[in-house]
This record gives sequence, structure tokens and C-alpha cells, in this order.
Amino acid sequence: MKFFGHAFKSAVENILRNKTINLLCFGIIGFTLLVLGLFQIISFNLNQYVSRLSRQISAIFYFQEKSTQSERQIILELVQQSLLVQKALFISENEAYTRFGREFPDLKYILSEFDQSPFPASIEVQFREHNQSMVQIESFLKDMKKYPSIESIQLNTDWAKRIENLKQLISSVGFFISITLLFISIFVIFNVIKLNILYRQDEIIIFQLVGATNFYIRLPFLLEGLLLGMLGGLLADIFLAFSLKLFSLYGGYLFDVLRGIINLRRIPMAIFRNLILVGSTIGFFSALFSLKRFISQSRRVQNP
Amino acid sequence: MIQFFHVSKQYVKNQFALNDISLSIEKGEFVFLSGASGAGKSTLMRLIYREETPTKGQILIDSMNINLIKDSQLFRLRRQIGIVFQDFKLLRDRTVYENIAIPLLVRGEKRAVIEKRITNTLNLVGLNHRKRYLTSHISGGEQQRVAIARAIVGNPKILLADEPTGNLDTELSIEILKIFEQINANGITVIIATHDLHLLSIFPKRLLKLDKGVLAADVQREQPQ
Repeated sequence: MKFFGHAFKSAVENILRNKTINLLCFGIIGFTLLVLGLFQIISFNLNQYVSRLSRQISAIFYFQEKSTQSERQIILELVQQSLLVQKALFISENEAYTRFGREFPDLKYILSEFDQSPFPASIEVQFREHNQSMVQIESFLKDMKKYPSIESIQLNTDWAKRIENLKQLISSVGFFISITLLFISIFVIFNVIKLNILYRQDEIIIFQLVGATNFYIRLPFLLEGLLLGMLGGLLADIFLAFSLKLFSLYGGYLFDVLRGIINLRRIPMAIFRNLILVGSTIGFFSALFSLKRFISQSRRVQNP
Repeated sequence: MIQFFHVSKQYVKNQFALNDISLSIEKGEFVFLSGASGAGKSTLMRLIYREETPTKGQILIDSMNINLIKDSQLFRLRRQIGIVFQDFKLLRDRTVYENIAIPLLVRGEKRAVIEKRITNTLNLVGLNHRKRYLTSHISGGEQQRVAIARAIVGNPKILLADEPTGNLDTELSIEILKIFEQINANGITVIIATHDLHLLSIFPKRLLKLDKGVLAADVQREQPQ
């Protein structure tokens, strides 16, 4: 515990001693994590949006005119048994006829020209809410379409597909940019720790010569990396909260347009927590790499 | 006991910093290492505290082959050895007390123990009145005493001093050497590297003379205690 106290004090002193460079490092980590956080929020909101849209996804299976009652019953049972489906409702020709008359009374006269219902029998399907991926739904519909008693399936999924594609694109771009920026952060912390190691080289040598353990010597630097990363994460959180506040206040028309997609009130705290965790992790490991590279206990000169 | 068995050290091909050195230093001995600059005195010292490893040969301290110690375990060896450098190697932004406390802090000693041992050590080197001074604010002779105090505060078995009087005048050098004698009287093995012939004449201790990396002479000028 005493070691930790000493190491923590030493880490804080290091940070305060090289204010300019540590401030720069701190800012870079903060900016990097802010970008990561923004992409996480966009991705989260698009996920939520797609999920909300998915709740409204429905399909209509139209039967062949010559299909038998038993064939229709089999299809209905198959549809009802699917885990993707929440509700399936069989609509006979006559029910479709009645519904048309009820929903479009002005066009009712058209129906009078037909002796019997001109509408095919169908099954109206409502998909379950948790189905966020269109791939599963499309695969299910493709399988169902193979049954000869089904004439066609109507599903308007273009919008959902586009949102899904957009989400994937944003996630990929976000991932690439975030990884690049994270590497920059690691590089920056690595070099800040390296500078501090070089700055304190005399002290490190003295500590080694009087019998300090590797852990005792390295712990302050590890804590320094950890603190820089953690504070960078905290800074990113503050930037992020501030950006979102500004966006909601001054986003104007753009915000109104995006209001349906981005819900700033429902941003999970996990995103904020994760930024601190990611910051701390990269801080710790960058410091570790730097220590492995720049601190050794003895000079083992190879045989010439 | 320190034993060297056919120890050689090369930094450059065909050029020996130390060449086939075999020697033995008993526990509690006071030994001078002498020789011109580049004779290999500092290299021999660095091999003892394992800052470097020999190109050939084995070094045993208390029957333990120090070449085999893992880097992660090196602190155990270093806690047995106190080292004094010509350039003192003190932290200039810290006080005398803080510098001397370092070996005890890294061992995790309690504050009361640290306080007591530092006071005793400062009394030994005559620096109690400078306890709270920054090391940058005291004289060269006093800085060397601080370095000695730091080297012995952890009760080492061996004390190595590499040209400890190199930056001091004769009078101060003699004072410092007397402190080493006192330390040696407490049973600590003392090895001092120096090229100061005048000091060697005043203190008739065992002399290991190095010449171009070779042990040229081993002269026992006084019976070991």
C-alpha cells in the first residue's frame, strides 16, 4: 500500500512536472476518444432506429388462386411456427373483399362489377420486435417463396436496407478512424512516458543500484500512463456531453430532421464509461510498452 | 566472499577491458583497486554489482554465481551492495535526508526505522546538521558523505566506491577514507577504486593493481582483520 502511495504521488508529480507535454498528450487522447464516442453514439442511435423500424416490418403472402385450403393451412402453420414472426393472420378472398369496401368506400362501386372477390387470399405477417437484422427476415421470405401455393410476397424493405447499409458503413468508417486515432494515442503516450523515463534516468539508475524491484521502479510510470488515459477519457466524456448539448441547442433544422433518428436523452451511460475504460487501457499498455523498451536492469553486452 | 574465476570483459573485438582476472576477496576485507585510467577498475566494479556481465568467466558472491541471477531478481544482490560513485549520483532536487532514505524506501521500511537509521548514518559521516539541506546546496565533500551514507544506510555486506575522492582535495579525501575505515571496522567488505597514489601510501591496505585489463599485482600490505 505504501508502494502504491509513493508510486501515485510520483506519477502525479511527473504529470505536473511536464505540464505542456502532458497537456498535449491529454488533449490528443481526449480528442481521439471523443471521435470514438461520437461514432459509438451514431452507431447506437442507428441501431435503435433500425430496431424501431423493424418493429413495423410486415409482409403479405399472397396465395395462388388455385391453392387448396389444406395448402393454405400448411403455409399458415409454417409461418406461425417461425421464431421471427410475432403474428400471422389469414385473410380469405371474401375478407379481403369486405375490407376493401370498408377501407375505401368511395371505390366500392368497382367491386360491384365482380361476381366474386377479385382479391387473392393472403397471410398478413407481423415480425417480432427484436429482429434487428433484415438478413434473417429476407432469408425466411426466400424460403417461403419456394412453396408453389404462394404466388408472391410483398415486403417493402428498401428503407430498412438502406439504414442497415448506412449503419454498417458508419460503423466501418468509425472503426477504421477510431483504430487509427487509438494508435496515434498509444504512440503519443508511449513517447510521453519515454520522455519521462529519460528525464528521470538518473533517478531510475539510483533506484536500480540501491535494490529497487522492477515493480517499484515501473509502477509510477504505469500509473502515469493509466492516469493520462483515464483523464483523457474523462475529457472526452466532457467534450462529448458538451457537443451533444450544443447539438441539441443549436442544431436547428438539422436537428429537427435527425430528431427521429438521434435520441439524445437515451444515450447509454456505458458509452461514457467505456471511453474512460478504453483511455485507461491504452494509457496503461502504452506505458508498459515504453517501460519494456526503455528500462532494463543491466547492460548485457554481447560478446564482440 | 567475492571470487572471480578467469573473468574477461570485452566491449570491442580483440580489445579486453578485463582479461582473465582471477581473484578472491574475503568477507570484511578492505581492498584498493588501482591502475591508470582505462585499466579496468570501473569495469571490475560494474561486474560485481552486475551492471554488466562478463564475456567469459564466473563471478561468485557468497558462493552464488551472479551471472545466473535473473534481471527481475537482481534487486536481491543490489541490496547486499552499497555503491559510491565519483560523481556522487545524488538527486539534486531532494534533501540530504531524502537521498539517504531511498534504499530504505525501496525496501518498504517503516518511517520510524528510516528516521532512526538515517540519523545513525548521518552521525557516522558527520552530516546530521545538513539533514534538511538540498544536496545542490552543500559542498562536494559533503555530497560525497551523503553518497556514502546512502550506500551504507541499508546495511550492505559489500561497499564499492569508484574513485570516491576523485573530486576532492587531499584533506577531504583522507577524511572520506577514514569514514570508509570506520565502515570496514563494522565488518563490511570495502573495495575502493582509486588512482591516487598518495592515498594508497597513507592507507596500507590490500592493493589489487590493474594494468590494461590484467591483474598486474595483488599486494597484501596489511593483515586482514
